[in-house]
Amino acid sequence: MCIVGVGLSDGPVTPDLSAVMLEAQSFRRALDDAGLEKDDIDGLASAGYGGMHEVALAEYLGLAPTWLESSSVGGSSFEFHAMHAYRAIQNGDADTIAIVYGNNQLSASGRTLGTGGGGGGRGGMALPLPMSYEFPTGLTLVGAYAMAAQRHMHEYGTKPEQLASISVQTREHAARNPNAMYRDPITVDDVMSSRLVADPLHKLDCCVISDGGCCVIMSTEERARDLGHRPVFVRGAAGGTTHHSIAAMADMTRTAAAVSGPKAFAEAGITPADVDMFAMYDSFTYTVLVVLEDLGFAPKGEGGAFVSDNGGNLRLGGALPTNTDGGGLSATHPGMRGLFLLCEATRQLRGEAGASQVPGAEIAVAHGSGGWLSTQATVVLGTEGN
Amino acid sequence: MAEAAPAGWTEVPKWLVPRPTKEDREYWEGAGRGELRIQRCLTCGRHQHYARMLCSHCGKQTLEWVTASGRGTVYSFTVIRQNGVPPFNERIPFVVATVDLDEDGARLIAPMPELAPDEARVGMRVRAAFRPAPEGLGFVDFAAE
Repeated sequence: MCIVGVGLSDGPVTPDLSAVMLEAQSFRRALDDAGLEKDDIDGLASAGYGGMHEVALAEYLGLAPTWLESSSVGGSSFEFHAMHAYRAIQNGDADTIAIVYGNNQLSASGRTLGTGGGGGGRGGMALPLPMSYEFPTGLTLVGAYAMAAQRHMHEYGTKPEQLASISVQTREHAARNPNAMYRDPITVDDVMSSRLVADPLHKLDCCVISDGGCCVIMSTEERARDLGHRPVFVRGAAGGTTHHSIAAMADMTRTAAAVSGPKAFAEAGITPADVDMFAMYDSFTYTVLVVLEDLGFAPKGEGGAFVSDNGGNLRLGGALPTNTDGGGLSATHPGMRGLFLLCEATRQLRGEAGASQVPGAEIAVAHGSGGWLSTQATVVLGTEGN
Repeated sequence: MAEAAPAGWTEVPKWLVPRPTKEDREYWEGAGRGELRIQRCLTCGRHQHYARMLCSHCGKQTLEWVTASGRGTVYSFTVIRQNGVPPFNERIPFVVATVDLDEDGARLIAPMPELAPDEARVGMRVRAAFRPAPEGLGFVDFAAE
C-alpha cells in the first residue's frame, strides 16, 4: 500500500478559484504526478463540507468509484482517510484511491476562522451539543487551544517563548517555499510582541488562513512499482478521539495521539527515534508541542525544552525536522490541513523536497489533529514497506 | 440570586438566547432562578454537565438532577482578546475559565466577567454567578471566591 501520486493546487491566495476548482486542480496534478488517468481511480475520499460531498465531487470529476469515504472529524480527517484507504487496499476492497480536499477559505470567508465565535454558530442555527454551552461564553477556537496551552504551562512550566520557538522554526522552513503565505524570518521576540489573541497564544502562535487544495493517491505496491516514482509505503496508522468540546478534554495536556502514536509506531515496527521528519498539523504552536510529547518524541512535560534545545530541533539539521514546507503556521492552511501533511511527507521520502530536503529521509510521520484537539490520527510512511 | 453583570454583558442578542431542549431545560431554568443544576448518577455517584440520557462516567441510565454548590476550582483559563462576533467584540478582553466543580466529575466552561484578566490563575477558587437571559432562563458565570 503506497502513496503513488500527490498534487497541490495553486496557492496560497486564489480568489479566482472555488473550493471544487481547487480540488479538481489538485486531483489532475496528482494524476499527472502518478502517471494515472481518472478511470484508474476506484475509490474517493473527501471531507469538510456538507453531506454527500464526496459523491458530488465524484460526479464533478466524472468518476464512478466503488469505494467511498467521508469521515469528517476536523483537520485530521485526511489521516483517517489514509488509514481507511490503507486498510481497504490491503483488503482488496479498492485498488487506487484518491483523497481530495480543497477550500477557498481565505477568499470566501476571510480570516475569522479562529476568532469568529469558534467557526460558526451565528444566524440562529441550532448549535450541536455541547457547543450550545460554549458559544454563549464568548470562547473562540483559538481560546480553546489557549486554555489547553495555559494548563500545560501550569503543570510543566512550559514557557510562551518555547511555544514561540515553534513558529520561528516553521517560518525558517517557509522561507524556502515559494508558495508559502509568509516567508520573512521572524524571531521569538516577534512572536511574543505580536498581539495576544487569547492568552497565552499570540497572533504568530496561530496558523494562517489561506486558499488551497491537495490530492493524495494511494494504490497497491504492485502498481506503485509500475509507476514512475519511488514508492512511499504506508507502514502504520491509528487514530482516535477523547472529546469534542474543549470542556470535555479531561486532561488538556494529553491528546488521543498518546494512543494513536504508539499504536501506529508498533504496526510500523519503529520507535520515535527512527523518524527522520515530521509533518504535524500545526493549527497552533501548542498543538505541535503537546503532540510531540504524546507521540514520544519528547517526554511528557518536556516538549518546550525539546523544541527550543539544540538551536531548535524542528529545523533542518535538528533532531526532528518538522513541517518542512512551512506548515500551517506560515505556508498553507485552507480551513483544514491534514492532507497537506501526507503530501509533504511524500515529497521528503521521494527526495523531491529541494532546498527543504531532509537528507536521506526514510521514515516520516504525518499526524493530524482536528476540532478542539479532539481527534488525532497518526500515519507512518517509509521508503520501504513493513 | 442573579447578580448585576458588568456593562456589555446584559445584552442578549437573539442568536444567544438559550433554546432549552427536552434534556437540558432544567439547567437553563435553574440558572434563571440562581441555581446551578447538574446531573448526579445514582450508580457511580459522579456528576456531569451538560445533561445527557446516560451517565458519561459509567454509562448507566440512573441520573437525577441536583443543585450544585456553585463552588469550584479553575482548571484552566484564557483571556479572550479577539472575538469578531457581537456582543463579544464589545466585551473584550474577558476571562473564560474551565471550572471543575466541587461535585466530582462535573466541569463547566464559563466567563468570569468581573475578573481582571491579570488576576486569573489556574487553581483559583471560584463560585457561580448568574446572569439573566430572556424567558426566565439564565447564564452561568463564575466569580472569584
